[in-house]
Amino acid sequence: MKLIFYYILGAFSLLLVSCKNNETLPYLGQTVVENGKEIHHKVGQFSHYNQDSVLMDNSSLSEYVYVADFFFTSCPSICPKVAKQMLRIYDTVQDEPMVKLVSFTIDPKRDDVKKLRLYADNLGIDHNKWYFLTGDKEATLELANTYFVAAFEDADAPGGFDHSGKILLVDKDGHVRSFSEGTDPENTPKIIEDIKKLVASYKAENK
Amino acid sequence: MTKGLNHFIKCFLGGLLTISVIFSCNDSPYMQGKRLYLANCANCHMEDGSGLSALIPSIQKSVYLGKPEIACILKNGLRDTIFKDSTFLVREMPAFKKFSATEITNIVNFVNHSWNTSFKETTITQIEEAINICQ
Repeated sequence: MKLIFYYILGAFSLLLVSCKNNETLPYLGQTVVENGKEIHHKVGQFSHYNQDSVLMDNSSLSEYVYVADFFFTSCPSICPKVAKQMLRIYDTVQDEPMVKLVSFTIDPKRDDVKKLRLYADNLGIDHNKWYFLTGDKEATLELANTYFVAAFEDADAPGGFDHSGKILLVDKDGHVRSFSEGTDPENTPKIIEDIKKLVASYKAENK
Repeated sequence: MTKGLNHFIKCFLGGLLTISVIFSCNDSPYMQGKRLYLANCANCHMEDGSGLSALIPSIQKSVYLGKPEIACILKNGLRDTIFKDSTFLVREMPAFKKFSATEITNIVNFVNHSWNTSFKETTITQIEEAINICQ
């Protein structure tokens, strides 16, 4: 009888442990195993200027968890909706220094550093919290793929570009850990929760 | 007998309550205008009319609420450019030429009813007059 009791207790605690493991965010994209080690998908390398003319690359963000999207300032279609959700996320992470926001323009020809600065100013955000990045167009479109964002030039699309309005959560090592559809406001609370979870997991590690 | 009647009244009142709750959930009496707004305006001005910071004006607090100019803006669009240090951002509201006076009336009434605290219904005649003046 006692044995059964311990057995149930053991099974129950195992269940608890496994539930706790489920709380860590998944690694999105393909995971390959090399020499017995799991290698998770990483976002591509970039080297872009931000709205204050500072050259930034992946290493500039290696100390931060960041939320990324792809947009362009003259975008007439989905961008305002996505920007609104980015702004909503921005409002919730303002007091969390570990989190940054990054918006890549897919229209660098029109969106130079000056235009991005003007855009950021009119959005009313802190330039050290939310970066607007511009760089080589082809490189940016390719980079978008590594963030699971489809982006390409299309003369028939409104504004000349077709792209999806995904918002992505990237960890300190460049792994994509969560995403939401920026066009759907009901998606946003979930990614805000995931940002908190990811930040909490880093804080727990440092203890 | 009175018991049966009592029961009937209770059911009737209950039904009435249910119906009124359903109708009150359809928050705006201007459903046509709401539909047009969601399809044509909400992408930029957002469903709640809040806009996007200084980039896209909020309708909630717009000076045009309750004014006839709002019909002209819908019909002809607005072009506004922010200039700063040899660069500029175009804030452009497209012209909705395709809208009929009826459709504009529906949108104007929906928008005013939603966000203008001193709401007064606009008639098609008023909208037609406004459009004639702005052209």
